[in-house]
Amino acid sequence: MSEHPPSMNSRERVLAALNRQPVDRTPLCNPTSVATVELMDLVDAPFPDANRKPELMARLAATGYTELGFDTIMPVFSIIQESAALGCKIQWEQKDNWPTVRMNEPIWTSPDDINVPADLCTHPDTRCVTDAIKILRKEYGDEVAVIGKTMGPWSLGYHCFGVEPFLLMSLDDPGKTKLCLDRMKEITVEYGLAQIEAGADALTLPDHATGDLVSGEYYERYLRDLHIEMAERLPVPIILHICGRTVDRMEYIAQTGMAAFHFDSKNTPMESMEIVKERIALVGNINNPETLFSKGPEVVREEVYRNLDAGVQLVGPECAIPLQTSIENLKEIPRAVRDWHAGYDR
Amino acid sequence: MAEIGDIANEFIRDEIDEFLEKENERNHIVELFAQTRPLLQDIAAALIDGAHEEVDQLTQQALSEGIEALEIMDDGLIAGMGIVGIKFRDNFIFVPEVLACARAMKAGMAHIEPILSDSGVEPIGTVVMGTVKGDLHDIGKNLCIMMLRGAGFVVHDLGVDTSEDEFIEAIEEHGAKLLGMSALLTTTMPNMGKTIEAFIDEDLRDDIKIMVGGAPVTPEFAEDMGADGYGKDALSCVELAKELLSE
Amino acid sequence: MALTCDIGTRIELVPMDSHCNDITVALYKQPPSDAPVYRIHTYSQHPDAQERIGSLSADMQVLGGMQQADDGLLRFPCGHAHQYAARRLFLDACKRDPSETAQAHPLQIHDKKSACDIAVDSLGDGQYCVRAEQGTQGVERRTATIARGLIRLGEMEGTDDDANRLHFACGHAHDALIALLLRRAPNVRAAMREAEEMASRGQLVAPSAQN
Repeated sequence: MSEHPPSMNSRERVLAALNRQPVDRTPLCNPTSVATVELMDLVDAPFPDANRKPELMARLAATGYTELGFDTIMPVFSIIQESAALGCKIQWEQKDNWPTVRMNEPIWTSPDDINVPADLCTHPDTRCVTDAIKILRKEYGDEVAVIGKTMGPWSLGYHCFGVEPFLLMSLDDPGKTKLCLDRMKEITVEYGLAQIEAGADALTLPDHATGDLVSGEYYERYLRDLHIEMAERLPVPIILHICGRTVDRMEYIAQTGMAAFHFDSKNTPMESMEIVKERIALVGNINNPETLFSKGPEVVREEVYRNLDAGVQLVGPECAIPLQTSIENLKEIPRAVRDWHAGYDR
Repeated sequence: MAEIGDIANEFIRDEIDEFLEKENERNHIVELFAQTRPLLQDIAAALIDGAHEEVDQLTQQALSEGIEALEIMDDGLIAGMGIVGIKFRDNFIFVPEVLACARAMKAGMAHIEPILSDSGVEPIGTVVMGTVKGDLHDIGKNLCIMMLRGAGFVVHDLGVDTSEDEFIEAIEEHGAKLLGMSALLTTTMPNMGKTIEAFIDEDLRDDIKIMVGGAPVTPEFAEDMGADGYGKDALSCVELAKELLSE
Repeated sequence: MALTCDIGTRIELVPMDSHCNDITVALYKQPPSDAPVYRIHTYSQHPDAQERIGSLSADMQVLGGMQQADDGLLRFPCGHAHQYAARRLFLDACKRDPSETAQAHPLQIHDKKSACDIAVDSLGDGQYCVRAEQGTQGVERRTATIARGLIRLGEMEGTDDDANRLHFACGHAHDALIALLLRRAPNVRAAMREAEEMASRGQLVAPSAQN
């Protein structure tokens, strides 16, 4: 059995794993939301208010640590906070649904429309996040890792230009698309820096150039160099998140210098680890709709073990979990990680 | 039996050689295009290439030469989308390219649809389509709608973020026998099951067939939710719709 | 200290109870596995939450014939799980208007498809028979389909020699439960698909139409 460092607290464990250093046990990490409707009731912090009021946001996010046993707290449940600040029309929805951007009412059509507003980080919906991070930092000190979230330029492109117009532009005018991405990247960096200043230990950076929509070659052409630059400019570990099948772009992702890649269950842990070859840590990849939402703890456990057996460095759900996911299934994740460490020789 | 050399358009021949790997599909497409007029082959080629202005111009030319609108649609536009669908299924192209082809199809259909509507041809059936509540994605749904309309269905598009009540009202208002639901997020997929439940509660479930689709949706999920059919892409959606309405 | 409790396996959830300030209510199943009990639970601290839980519990007793066990838990009188049916019962209890008094449904429905009244006779010892009140054309297939629907929804068993007969393996009567499930039985897709497959057996089809 390899030597493990002495017992670490949650924050130490997560930061060590993100830096691919030895850990006392595999950390449980949620780069994306683990909020559920039952947890909302538990702490009286329902959506949509928990996406707009920092006290509720912090209170609901903390349940990931206090109730479920994760080593991280990630308060940014949705993917729309900065898009709200940019002026996108938002549907805030109800308790049992996610707020979304009305992408069929885009706010931009050309690079000249792109504007980083002066109040990007002080707008109520972005400030909600930085204030929530401050609350969490004050409440939990250095005991747990607090992860922020800043949307990447490709995702911002979907929100602000509309998905179809943006994808058509990427085909019709690659030069214009690159210019748009380069300008939108500044939003990602500025909002990320604000969260770091508020106390975030790491940042999730979702950038949805997913294999369900675009090719791996697209990732290399449009995003890899931007991600390299953002990893250099943001002085904390960055966890890149891209949904869907991504093995065809993991080689490029591994070249970005980002700390970790949060990968989807459409990619097996083994094949993913083989491609990235320890150049970037992996976080994931327990399936949401079929496992966490629909099946029982025994299937959750199997997926946790599959990840640990492959050497995945941080374990957690593959993406924001369905709001109706059972607490029992979520609690099984840390139980399974602990049992694996107790019973297996790595 | 037709051979690839019987196809006049070189681009189409190259597409078949490069991208059609399944023998039965290849033979079917070769047979189809070998019997197609050269001008309609040119329309199909322009559509596959995403050249919407060319499709627009060639469709007008075909109409002015007296070719029937239905023949232009079937042998030019839909035949071209057939190859697009295969390339997309087999991951040779992705959504941006499909969107460009859909844009080209739309350019052609802009001239075809008015003629077909005026001709009094009986539609195959009436479909209500929408993306489920909480989901604002509609690329797949829009492609399906385009193909369904092209195949002769009347389609009522409810757009995105469609509630159970909106689906029910639309089915009742239009007397539709087929409902199509799309979801692109794993978090909104459960709303398909809720909508089906709502139809059961309103005692309407027996009156319609329900098909579902979307990138994260699987046949197993569709069965669990109580849907009648699962459409894995825009092309198979048309066949599925025909099959469900014939039951 | 964690506030969530280990209250068994959650088997159904209503994320927003529109009859009680959108609280989330759930049905949990608790051991022992050979005599399970059910708990209706909410994590909400809303002042009306516990009263709502009590009202749902009462409704499940009336609508589905459940009994109160210790500590506010519910069980079927036979002591068996009937889990699938319990989920359905919970959802129906949550949906109904609490201002109306809950009453068990009758063992009869009007079937739109056959334009016929379909009744279920309770034969004792958990045995039931689906019967059409009128003899319209095609009604035999409908009663058989509805019987299959009840079998699926109630996790029941059929018999080889009579497509309309079904029974609970526990050997106990659950009339209220059958009446509740009867409302849904005509729409169970799997039952209908089975009926279509069985109807097409033994028919000669052209080679071009064979799968």
